[in-house]
Amino acid sequence: MLGGLNTRVMLEYLPEIWQGFLSTLWLSAAGFLGAMALGVLACALAIQPLRWLRAPAVAYVDVIRATPLLAQLYFLYFGLPRLGIVLPEMLIGIIALSLNSGAYMAEIIRSGILSIPRGQVEAGMSTGLSYLQRMRLIVLPQALRATVSPVIGQTIVLVKDSSLLSLISVVELTRAGQRIAIDRFMPVEGLVATALGYLVLYYALKSAAGAWSARNALPGRG
Amino acid sequence: MGQQARMIEFSGVNKWFGPLHVLQDISLTVGKGEVVVVCGPSGSGKSTLIRCVNGLEPFEKGRLVVDGTDLSNRRALRALRMEVGFVFQSFNLYPHKTALENVTLAPIHVRGLSRAEAEARGRALLEKVGLGDRMGNYPHQLSGGQQQRVAIARSLCMQPKVMLFDEPTSALDPEMINEVLDVMVGLAREGMTMMVVTHEMGFARKVADRVIFMDHGAIVETAPPETFFTAPVHARTRDFLGKILHH
Repeated sequence: MLGGLNTRVMLEYLPEIWQGFLSTLWLSAAGFLGAMALGVLACALAIQPLRWLRAPAVAYVDVIRATPLLAQLYFLYFGLPRLGIVLPEMLIGIIALSLNSGAYMAEIIRSGILSIPRGQVEAGMSTGLSYLQRMRLIVLPQALRATVSPVIGQTIVLVKDSSLLSLISVVELTRAGQRIAIDRFMPVEGLVATALGYLVLYYALKSAAGAWSARNALPGRG
Repeated sequence: MGQQARMIEFSGVNKWFGPLHVLQDISLTVGKGEVVVVCGPSGSGKSTLIRCVNGLEPFEKGRLVVDGTDLSNRRALRALRMEVGFVFQSFNLYPHKTALENVTLAPIHVRGLSRAEAEARGRALLEKVGLGDRMGNYPHQLSGGQQQRVAIARSLCMQPKVMLFDEPTSALDPEMINEVLDVMVGLAREGMTMMVVTHEMGFARKVADRVIFMDHGAIVETAPPETFFTAPVHARTRDFLGKILHH
């Protein structure tokens, strides 16, 4: 099937594919930053002791994790205009990606924090460290170390999820590949070009994760 | 004890875990410089008792005053904890910090010492507990006994007025128990006020002023060690001593 790949057409569409690649790259980057901000916020709210602040954070994580990204995307795309909020498709896409991945990031960060044994926190309390000092000096340095790999994993998911934005006519990698399919009736060429773009992003993130864990292994271990 | 300055004073303290009455009407006074050993079967409430002293466990009824601070005043808790050291059964060292960093963390961030001052104090204490050559090691590079000695130095580096020990040798291999007990005996002889939950009766004989026996959340018997071991009054105490001393 791939033997008869029409590379001439793929090269002809290289500028479009490149534009789509850059677009996916920056949509993902923006989505990642939004997701981290929301994730840290939702996690901070979910682990603090006040119930009325905890409830919205827990509800947010539950609703997002219970529903498909596609439904969330359409909900924003068709729902926001009815509230009188008209935003460019690109921005709606970034909001949807941030909201979606933010819920997963919150859970990843939360489980990193909960993985720190309670005894260490009590040891900190017993020497008079405040809540914020215990978080900053004891819990977070260890929790974040445990969090980097799953965060990169979720980012890989986010990159691929950004392909759904093609459905609300955001031009990105998947949409660019579809152009080859539609203009030239060559869906396989389009999909292969698209897949190569995602593969590049995947390997970039994967090697970043590898480099990070090689440099930041717990001192003296491994 | 009478006129001696009071360091820890329980009056009618009660605590429940749901329906479970884990501390029943505890009244107990520990004077300045006194060493009190608390023993009793597991589940008797002895750990809960000393965890109340630095506010790690809240309680529902009664009054507890430590170094002049009423524990019901949660706002005063942080200041109190600076004066009350706590040593855990499971050491609870910070695994991402070296022995010296474990010891100097609170003095720097809580007492506001400069790094140089804190390290000078920390080095002296690690020397004192016999770990002068281990200051740069991470906890996982140390044996259990060494980790527990770092944990004791970590508490002492805050220069507390009281030291609490919650079964400090229970998680240790037998050959490491004495290196930790030796440090604790030294501390007791220097006049530190100590409450120690332990079954190490040799330690109790050597340095305790009083031994307390707890069962089902209540203090059953309190006596100086010589009386406690030779002529316990209560049947439950005799029964317990029979079980732990014959091994």
